[in-house]
Amino acid sequence: MVHVLGINLPDGHVVKFALTKIYGVGPHIANRLCARLQVHDKCKVKDLSPFQVTSLASFLSSPTTSPPLPRLPLASPDFTPPPSTISTQELQARFNEQLKQRTIKSTDPLRNLKIESELRREIRENIAHQRMIGSYVGRRHAMHLPVRGQNTQNNAKTARKLNRLERN
Amino acid sequence: MRPTQILAKGRSAWKGPYFVPFSGLREALTNHESITTQARSCTILPSFVGVRFLVHNGKDYTPVLVTQDMVGHKLGEFSFTKKNFSFKYVFYPFIFRLMLIENI
Repeated sequence: MVHVLGINLPDGHVVKFALTKIYGVGPHIANRLCARLQVHDKCKVKDLSPFQVTSLASFLSSPTTSPPLPRLPLASPDFTPPPSTISTQELQARFNEQLKQRTIKSTDPLRNLKIESELRREIRENIAHQRMIGSYVGRRHAMHLPVRGQNTQNNAKTARKLNRLERN
Repeated sequence: MRPTQILAKGRSAWKGPYFVPFSGLREALTNHESITTQARSCTILPSFVGVRFLVHNGKDYTPVLVTQDMVGHKLGEFSFTKKNFSFKYVFYPFIFRLMLIENI
């Protein structure tokens, strides 16, 4: 049993499915998290290394402040290796210089990830905003009825369960 | 992310938000007159703040006072088209009720 942010991930589950236990992490984001932690496709929770578990916990606790991913570009198709007479130190120095010149914008898709209480708060705030300005959406939330024009003659069960001003 | 994308949700960014250029906007702000309109799909722009609209709901015109928080929403969101459901209650006068009972 692995505990991450107070959520226990069952030992026997495959990691990419176990991660979906976290509120706000679906199959797509779970896959991305696995790729980030270099967890293979069929890895189970019990096979995770302690380093992977700690890095997962540290990433999920604050995705915005996590260190950026290293970006090491592949060689271009017309790449010709430098002659072997050049020493490795010099090659390394050249490579580092090139890295410094490259200014890649951070396009990390998980940077703005919101999970658990943070996500719940965001949803609650959105509903409260709609209610405050007195729009149709806010009113339907307050009445526990569907918001987007669904039928209400029968059922509307999901709306009755979920559409509240204060979601549980 | 472009600011227009936030404003026009689900609409192409190059088009910008859909809005109707109301002619008497400035006069309405100064004279506190209300603008009567049927353009429910018009996006509320920052320049509309403080203006009173009378927005058509299919039957009549309901008053909408635009505030700062409403910017980016549509005018129609604040003019409800549905009545709240309530059971019909027919009030019979006392004598009429007596007559009904006697007939049975």
